[in-house]
Amino acid sequence: MNAAQSSSTIRMHTRPLVWLVAVLLTMAALAMPGRAFAHAALVATDPADGAVLTQSPAQFSLTFSEPVSPLVLTLVRPDGSQLALTSFRLNDQTVEIDNPETLKSGSHVLSWRVVSVDGHPVGGSTLFSIGAPSAAPVAGEAVDWTLRAAIWAARLLLYAGLFLGVGGAFALAWLAGDRRRGQRFVAAALIFGLIGAPVSLGLQGLDGLGAPLARFATPAVWKTALETSFVWTVLIGLIALGVALLSLAGPSGLRKLSAGAALLGVGGALAASGHASAAEPQWLTRPLVFLHGTAIAFWAGSLAPLALALRREPAEAKVFLRRFSRAILPVVILLAASGVVLAIIQVQEPAALVRTAYGRLLLLKLALLLFLFTLAAVNRWTLTAPAEAGDTEVQRRLVRSIGIEVVIVLAIFGVAAGWRFTPPPRALAIAAAQPVSIHIHTLEAMADLSITPGHAGTVAASMVIMTGDFGPLDAKQVTLVLSKPDSGIEPIKRPASKPGDGTWRVDNLVIPLPGRWNARLDILVSDFEMVKIEAPIDIRSD
Amino acid sequence: MKKYILAAGALCTLGTNAALAHITLETQEAAVGSTYKAVLRVPHGCEGKTTTAVRVQIPEGVIAVKPMPKPGWTLQTKKGNYEKSYQLYGETLTTGVKEVGWSGGNLPDEFYDEFVFRASLAADLPAGQMLYFPVVQECGDATDRWIEIPTTGQDADALETPAPGIKLLPKK
Repeated sequence: MNAAQSSSTIRMHTRPLVWLVAVLLTMAALAMPGRAFAHAALVATDPADGAVLTQSPAQFSLTFSEPVSPLVLTLVRPDGSQLALTSFRLNDQTVEIDNPETLKSGSHVLSWRVVSVDGHPVGGSTLFSIGAPSAAPVAGEAVDWTLRAAIWAARLLLYAGLFLGVGGAFALAWLAGDRRRGQRFVAAALIFGLIGAPVSLGLQGLDGLGAPLARFATPAVWKTALETSFVWTVLIGLIALGVALLSLAGPSGLRKLSAGAALLGVGGALAASGHASAAEPQWLTRPLVFLHGTAIAFWAGSLAPLALALRREPAEAKVFLRRFSRAILPVVILLAASGVVLAIIQVQEPAALVRTAYGRLLLLKLALLLFLFTLAAVNRWTLTAPAEAGDTEVQRRLVRSIGIEVVIVLAIFGVAAGWRFTPPPRALAIAAAQPVSIHIHTLEAMADLSITPGHAGTVAASMVIMTGDFGPLDAKQVTLVLSKPDSGIEPIKRPASKPGDGTWRVDNLVIPLPGRWNARLDILVSDFEMVKIEAPIDIRSD
Repeated sequence: MKKYILAAGALCTLGTNAALAHITLETQEAAVGSTYKAVLRVPHGCEGKTTTAVRVQIPEGVIAVKPMPKPGWTLQTKKGNYEKSYQLYGETLTTGVKEVGWSGGNLPDEFYDEFVFRASLAADLPAGQMLYFPVVQECGDATDRWIEIPTTGQDADALETPAPGIKLLPKK
């Protein structure tokens, strides 16, 4: 194939391509989520945070926005001494924890650290008191910045290995023909990834336990790490990296096959854990993450070998450039489309882009992407055709431009690795929409009261009423009275209605202020008998 | 100074109103083992509405209840078993009136009326304690329930809708 022919072929392809890239640029700039190895959010605890109990509870429970597995559960007694809680059960999204001892009066802190399906550990604590509150024992979580930096750096290495390494190996096997320029670069990236993957796993274990970097080599850390879903990312990632490394050295017949398998492994590794994969609906998010990751690897991986080939062997690199130019269009469509859908699932509303740390990282990534896509478009639009035609000056410019693209891609990986530390608005919204619930139990009657959502504003209250010994209580009338004596607001008194499902409801209830309210239920048991039960309930601010 | 007087006056008025607003019993003390004439005083309707029915629950230990009919009102009683048997003038009583109701009447908010019944207070009622007669006041579709009984240690004055009650005195 001579230069003139290939040039005209390229031109025919590039005209519509230019427009498509421009459209995609706009689309992709609107939203591109990346990997978010982030959090499950706590939605309810029993005892509730701040609750005052009359007697020691037999068990505790923690309910999260997605299924979790506990890493460390500790009870801090009023005197500051700690008790490790080792007996617990998982019940869907709730962790039920046995209380091994009868608690003395005073304030206790239930400190928890769990890891969610996405592989990210989160921690927190809930305070409750027996009898009456006492000075709160100290339990808290400090941010270990050294550990965070290490996690981020290891994650960056892993991304470099998966995207630049495996993607590069794929480009060499499928696009570069029998030219092997860039092989050393790709091998180096793969080795970075092979280092980053196990280190990432160990750091995950450290983060899970809340342990400092110095304990990296201890068995407990690795045992913890192996129990997280992130282990699958690392495992599949390591296989992909290894297979990609083999493809560089292997016989030509096997090269394409193994490099292709390794590329699919990149998508698989990313889909195995992370917040985007953990998001509902799973049938949609996991395949999308897979496609997104595979497309990134294809694109990012091709850049360095392509640039190196163009610089060293411009004449022979033309085939490489043509194949890449053809293939990149559907790949970018996949990349952008999967990114847009995942971003919508994760961010949910435009305001969250600015309001949350996750959203701000996304904006930063979008800015980098805009730059990257512009550069890519210029490359395709103005540089590819003359470079193919053999214009050496243009070829040099193209190489420089691709070099800059690689740097931007690395920066984007850096931003994406930062998502490891921020919960997406989706998870935050799940937490915000959660009801606050309290259980009121007296000799005469007991009630479960839920206020949905559990924050100030327009809410709905739902109540289930039973007798003090768990029997049915067919109340004639139930009235909900919310008061906040310290606010100067008069008690809010609303009769509840009976929708017929065994509950009592108050709809369109407006709670004007967040904070601790007193909820009282006036239950008319019979014509002449009213039972009033009350308990404090904490209303969130958002 | 003037302010204080005004404030004190305001407090007095409010306090009096609150007390007057409740349905109460005229005689607030009675000895156990005696006959008690209960006069329920109804000072107003339910939040301004005309009273159409008054029903009172008879507590355990209050036996041989005989309500007084009232012109313009339909008198009804509900009978039931006592929790235990009582001796009265040589007779053993195991059942009797548990609820008395005057209904179908018309008592506008601006008028006052009384509802009367007579009963025996069993000799084994605990002297020194309060005995409550929960009352439901109906005004068409509105209802006021004077049924709140203070729990141990609770200030009876703090209740929004307290049940009328009497203090039981030792047997004479």
